[in-house]
Amino acid sequence: MKQILKILVFIVPICIFAFFYTYLSKDNSYPGADYRVFEIPSFDLTELYKETELSNEDLSGNFLINVWASWCITCRVEHGFLEKLSSSGIRIIGLNYKDDRSDAIEWLKKYRDPYELVIHDFNGSLALDMGVTGAPETFLISNGKVIAHYRGEVNQMIWEDVFIKTIKDSEIIL
Amino acid sequence: MIKILLSFLFILSSNLYSEAYYEFEDVENEARFYNLIKEIRCPKCTSGSLASSNAPVSEDLKKAISQMIVDGKSDTEIKNYISDRFGKDTLYDTPVEPNTYVLWYSPFIFLTICLIVFFIRERAK
Repeated sequence: MKQILKILVFIVPICIFAFFYTYLSKDNSYPGADYRVFEIPSFDLTELYKETELSNEDLSGNFLINVWASWCITCRVEHGFLEKLSSSGIRIIGLNYKDDRSDAIEWLKKYRDPYELVIHDFNGSLALDMGVTGAPETFLISNGKVIAHYRGEVNQMIWEDVFIKTIKDSEIIL
Repeated sequence: MIKILLSFLFILSSNLYSEAYYEFEDVENEARFYNLIKEIRCPKCTSGSLASSNAPVSEDLKKAISQMIVDGKSDTEIKNYISDRFGKDTLYDTPVEPNTYVLWYSPFIFLTICLIVFFIRERAK
């Protein structure tokens, strides 16, 4: 009996150590990243410049949706990286979040427009349905489905560790 | 006259600057609403319920919840709506699911092991 207890004294801490080591040493867990797959909720909004109606049917293929606003400071920080992505041929659709139409257009004129299309979501209704908590946030979309979601600024590191990784894992071409 | 005007402005200002409030037809629904916003975590905050938060997303969620209550949705449906969009960690009440079994059952397993060891030792004496 004492023998068993003596062994347990060693084994139990080792098990606890191993458990926490494997659980806590996963380096792919960014706090803002979410990989749940869901369909883009149906929406009925307008385009930022032309004020034409937009719905799910206007979005096809594989692309990014970037939630931004002219009042959002971090979006300004992120903007340069989005332009880099856009000029390398990646399709980015903007979701203008709780913003004044004229402020948003002014902002894009000032800092250049990396978006293929901008959806104007004044009330944040589509954003709320997609689980947006603020700006900036970025979604990776493949054929109408969200396959990755990042809450916060996308930079080179996040792009590689969250987005490129998902793109490779799901074998899609952006 | 000025006194009347000032007091009128004073009364008016407190209404204009008060937070958005939520109206319900009966007291039961109102109680449900205030319970729900205490049980759901604000997705923008590190910790803190919707009730304690005035972040824009919390205000939107409170509006959505009050609308869903008026529409006759159940508490479970409302909680699912929010956890589907903002993740399971928005619910303070952790559901019992395969990936939370460790959390829920490990204390009992640990206690059982301790009791077994204790009784074996007692008997050995």
